[in-house]
Amino acid sequence: MEDLLHMSALIQLRIDGELHELEVLPNATLLDVLRDEVGKKGTHMGCRTGHCGACTVMIDGKVAKSCITLAASLPRATITTIEGLQQDGEMGPIQQAFWDEAGLQCGYCAPGILLSTAELLADNHQPSAAEVDQALAGNLCRCTGYQSIKRAVHSACVRMYPDQETGIEEG
Amino acid sequence: MSTSQADSKGYVGKFVRTKEGRAPLLGKAKYTNDYTFAGQLYAHILRSPHASAVINSVDVSGAKKVAGVRLVMSGREVAEYTNPITDYLDPAVFGGKSADIRPMAVDRAWCFGQPVAIVVADDANIARYAASRIQVDYTPLEAVTDAEQALAEDAPRVVPEWDDNLLMYVPFVFGDTDSAFASAAHVVSTEVGIHRFSTQPMETRCYNAVWEHDTESITLYATSQNPHPLRLVLAETLRMPENKIRIIASTIGGAFGMKMHGHPEESLLCLMAKLTGRPVKWVESREECLLIGAREQRHYLEMAFDDEGRMLGLRDRFYANLGAPSACPGWGMAFLTGLTMPGPYRVRDIDVQVHAVNTNKPSWNAARGYGKESTAIALELAMDHAARQLGMSPVELRLKNFIRHDEFPYGSPTGLMYDSGDYGGALSKALDAINHEDWLEKQAQALAEGRYIGIGVAFELTPEGGAIPGTMVAGYDSSTVRVGPDGTVRVLTGITSPGTGNATGIAQIVADELGVDIDHIEVLQGDTNASPYGFGNYSGRSTIVGGGSAALAAQDVRKMIDKVAAALLEVDLEALEFQDGLYFGRGKPGTPLSFAEVCYAAYTRAYDVALCIEPPLEVTRTFRPPSIRHTPDKNGHINPYPSYSNAAYVSVCEVDRETGKVELLAISAAHDCGKVINPVLVEGQACGAIGFGLGGVLSEEITFDEGGRQLTRSFVDYVMPRMSDVPDITMVHHDSPNPDTYLGLKGAGEAGVGGSAAAVVNSVNNALQPLGVLIHDLPLSPPRVWAAIQAAEGGH
Ligand code: FES
Ligand code: FES
Repeated sequence: MEDLLHMSALIQLRIDGELHELEVLPNATLLDVLRDEVGKKGTHMGCRTGHCGACTVMIDGKVAKSCITLAASLPRATITTIEGLQQDGEMGPIQQAFWDEAGLQCGYCAPGILLSTAELLADNHQPSAAEVDQALAGNLCRCTGYQSIKRAVHSACVRMYPDQETGIEEG
Repeated sequence: MSTSQADSKGYVGKFVRTKEGRAPLLGKAKYTNDYTFAGQLYAHILRSPHASAVINSVDVSGAKKVAGVRLVMSGREVAEYTNPITDYLDPAVFGGKSADIRPMAVDRAWCFGQPVAIVVADDANIARYAASRIQVDYTPLEAVTDAEQALAEDAPRVVPEWDDNLLMYVPFVFGDTDSAFASAAHVVSTEVGIHRFSTQPMETRCYNAVWEHDTESITLYATSQNPHPLRLVLAETLRMPENKIRIIASTIGGAFGMKMHGHPEESLLCLMAKLTGRPVKWVESREECLLIGAREQRHYLEMAFDDEGRMLGLRDRFYANLGAPSACPGWGMAFLTGLTMPGPYRVRDIDVQVHAVNTNKPSWNAARGYGKESTAIALELAMDHAARQLGMSPVELRLKNFIRHDEFPYGSPTGLMYDSGDYGGALSKALDAINHEDWLEKQAQALAEGRYIGIGVAFELTPEGGAIPGTMVAGYDSSTVRVGPDGTVRVLTGITSPGTGNATGIAQIVADELGVDIDHIEVLQGDTNASPYGFGNYSGRSTIVGGGSAALAAQDVRKMIDKVAAALLEVDLEALEFQDGLYFGRGKPGTPLSFAEVCYAAYTRAYDVALCIEPPLEVTRTFRPPSIRHTPDKNGHINPYPSYSNAAYVSVCEVDRETGKVELLAISAAHDCGKVINPVLVEGQACGAIGFGLGGVLSEEITFDEGGRQLTRSFVDYVMPRMSDVPDITMVHHDSPNPDTYLGLKGAGEAGVGGSAAAVVNSVNNALQPLGVLIHDLPLSPPRVWAAIQAAEGGH
């Protein structure tokens, strides 16, 4: 373990708008750094193998699984966690849509579901049902059977781009 | 309960949300793993790599040398400080065997993954590393992993002291099956193999035990569905008084039965905290979570029919592979599978034989459906098989054999008392909802093009809210409603929410009974120091008894507030009016009083206007469903369930002949869950259960090598449905209120697994019928379907 200490790396992360300078061990995952060092408990552990999506964050605007990302591989990066989705202390449009539609139940999968939706809707204002499936393919939800999630993504899209016709059929 | 104030103007029956539901969306919900305390230590558990082995020695000296390690213990050492874990449900109560279940293996390991040693260290990585330095000397033994082989005379014994591996044999016999079969025009035999699959909530289990130095007590933060009963088990296992233990079940990331107790880690973590004097946390890895199995059963069914397709008799002999003994309530699912026979069908002459068998696989725990899903899978596959043999349509055969809607309440041949239902009506509704006729046309068209579309139906009966005499499966539950001097409301319930929104349903009920804004209500669950004694969440009971008891308590508190209001307004109770949060006296001019003003007076004027009540404004009530009957009837049967929700399912799929892949095209369900408190939340639960059912029969499977070592270790191998795997689900309600519960509630949440699973399998077999393929061995994963197609084609 001592050997590892010599190999620690200094990284600079802007996490949900706040700058953090951290010295991390080479084997530390971004998930553990976020949860244990930065206190971002909104990011969850579901598998540690990259399959469930509960640990999803955005790294420089792109979704990534923090459980299989080594923190040391990010010397400088901007990270958005689920906790950064609020706007001026209010729920953002995606959160509001999931709230209104009862999109989730236990909410443990929320980081992946919400951030993947955010990534999708950022560049695609008219996603088709297949594109929604694809965008959320990396996220498991065990509670909902996905019906309410589809409904909520549709509603988020309408909320964000009221003038567009979405390709998603109303669920 | 005719005094109910709830009416159509209120919250009940509507899609309402309470504020607490926002926390997960903001990333602010606190799950058990989100608690960390000063001086926090972490545990890692070393597990047996063998399915069966003698443990000759455990040498922990290497682990103790690792810097940062605080405590290392073997199973033998732990046994000195602990009693065997008390069963959640003791098989002996049902005439079965009980084994001594230790938190860790002592001298002998009886399954792969059984805890053998534990390390506590300053961080989780150190603990894991140190565990790798423990030397265990095993002598591997021959393992038995198949339930039927485990019953052979010369099979190795899972519990060395037992005469055989049969945990329990239960016959459910009624009428004269032999005569029924002798007089039958047709007898149809069906063998159904249900594989091992599991609930796998997204949040794995987590326990964080905190030793409280000042009071010499333990607080356990736990992913627990049943905090009070868990507390009793811990008291007995840890040899501590129950009042020195507090359980806090925080927000839960899905439970589905897996977080019912009996797990070794619960008491282990408490012991580690006690011995180190510091908080100790353990977070289950997904690999560990996958050890917890469920559902594996093999059924040998025979159905006797007369000329017109009326079922005259049912025989079913089945073997449930429970894995190693466990204090968790998983084994009870085998009992329930038998008890729920013959499901929705009128047949009276039945002979069902339950063999609940222990093997050297890891143990079961409860899994949503709790065995009733296996009844549905076995029966509904057999019904379809019978329809094929009899040359009838599956719908026609079912309609002919369903219990009719005017036959309720209906006493089943196993002694259950079904409260209400309209099974035939539900099936018709589900068929309409999916446009059955259209699909029949599309199916014919597809076949002409060489594509294979299938349509399958199934029905599921789900007794919910169970109560078993002499166990902590109590059937009733309690709630406290406390109204403060400012008119805000705190509800404390003995039930818990595993992330299903039952707190919202309870808030809706209480808001209506009190006539207050739902935003003034806070519901607190899961803290044994705060909640009334309760039994937590299982068996789809939460709204029946949690909502029912909260309604009773709210009605009583409301009566108190009414009395004070009448006294303040100087009117008779009969002349008291309450509207939009204001009290006034009929025919009495003057300023109305707000609800809060009256509440304040109830607290502050105990010697004049509030003399008519006993302050504070707080009542605890229990709802004990009246239809549960534990005194045996003349056949020796009890009725352990108050409620029998039921549903019909239709599945449409297309099977790719080249790859064996099944694509689901549509699913419909007509669900009878009695009165619905919150339609959107109930629908959400039903869709979740359908996801379980279709994932279970199409892709989820836990496999072992020949020596009994588990091969399924991660989500690479355990394939759960993703969004694109679940088609659009059309849900319709076909509700018949339960006459014996508050507002006519039935359960919601358990139903859906077995019915959807069976409908999916029936649709696949329907699609493959033109190819001469019939598969009754689950799951219908692409390799298995492909192999069956190949075999059929080779046979041509
Ligand atoms: S925890 Fe990262 S994908 Fe599951
Ligand atoms: S809401 Fe529970 S896992 Fe998605």
